[in-house]
Amino acid sequence: MKTFILFSFILMMIACQPNNITPTAPVNNSAQPDLTDGTLLKQGMFTGIGGHTVSGTVTIYEKSSKKYIVFDPYSSQSGPDLKVYLSKNEQASEYIRIGPLMSTTGKQVYEVTTNVDLAVYPFVHIWCEKFSVEFARAPLK
Amino acid sequence: MLFRSCFILLAFGPLFAFSQATSKTSDYLDATLAFGKYQGSLAIHYTHFWNLGKSQRLSLGFGGRITSYIGANQYYVTAPAQLTSESTSPLIFFKDNIEKNIDTLLIKSPQVTMMNVSLNIQYRISKKITAGFNIDALGFSFGGKQSANYINGNTGANTQASPTSFNILLISDNDRGSLNSELFARYAINDRWSVRGALQFLFTEYTTETKVQQFPEANDRFRVKSFMLGAGVTYKLK
Repeated sequence: MKTFILFSFILMMIACQPNNITPTAPVNNSAQPDLTDGTLLKQGMFTGIGGHTVSGTVTIYEKSSKKYIVFDPYSSQSGPDLKVYLSKNEQASEYIRIGPLMSTTGKQVYEVTTNVDLAVYPFVHIWCEKFSVEFARAPLK
Repeated sequence: MLFRSCFILLAFGPLFAFSQATSKTSDYLDATLAFGKYQGSLAIHYTHFWNLGKSQRLSLGFGGRITSYIGANQYYVTAPAQLTSESTSPLIFFKDNIEKNIDTLLIKSPQVTMMNVSLNIQYRISKKITAGFNIDALGFSFGGKQSANYINGNTGANTQASPTSFNILLISDNDRGSLNSELFARYAINDRWSVRGALQFLFTEYTTETKVQQFPEANDRFRVKSFMLGAGVTYKLK
């Protein structure tokens, strides 16, 4: 039994090595789409989940028949393999992966490349995919 | 694949000569710890051998093995041969996987314990060194329900999965459940005790609560094939 516990401990120590850490530097604003004349569709506020420190506003815009998710302002702690999801419910039991979280701070714009019905996907999540941990959630209204 | 090819080649020939074997038998108990990337296993294995031929260098036998596998953030993939090869024929052994049919199930903390009957072959190379191969054939698996993330391109589902209960060795991806196999070498320290090194090829399989994969057909079985290096000890019982 002692051997098994030691073996498990060693394994978990190896397993907890972080990877794909999200950048902490803000995204270069000039490289992001200008949505000043876009149509605001939905908006929500991030709440940290499970003790994670996350705050910010998420807004969905439409411009030239494309949908965009905008985090502005945004601030969160860093983590491994953080992804942005649009989902059908609080548990993200069915989701669309928008992409890796660009930065832990500042404005960031994500283009929604698939045709999504926002009435069906009313939640935005920050999700640590590799470790299956939800960092934050924003219900869209 | 390589392990199984070796086993089939080594096993079937001697089986025909089995009826002429002497009645001399030997029993072993071994314990092996194996490690791979973010994963590991502990296996306890009892084996009963019939030692064949005049020199009794070649032995065939069966056994019982308990393997406990744990991992972290392992990517399981679509398991059924009907999807991975679009066939269940024995010839799929020689067929490449069809990538477009294979989806991923990320399991945060897989933990599977399997109890299987094993098939064994070993050859005594010298007085102190023995090499061999063994593979699980039939048994059961158990373990707790785990959170799992089904990933299919840019869509997915967070779900729950449990180890597939029933294990059976068939051909290639026709296998079901969790099965261990080893290519090993053993060095005798004295009449009873040996140290052993092993290349372990371990399948573990999870079944999701619902059939999360829908295309090209509904599926709830996902498998990971772990290649690990192991070390352990063997005690000769008889």
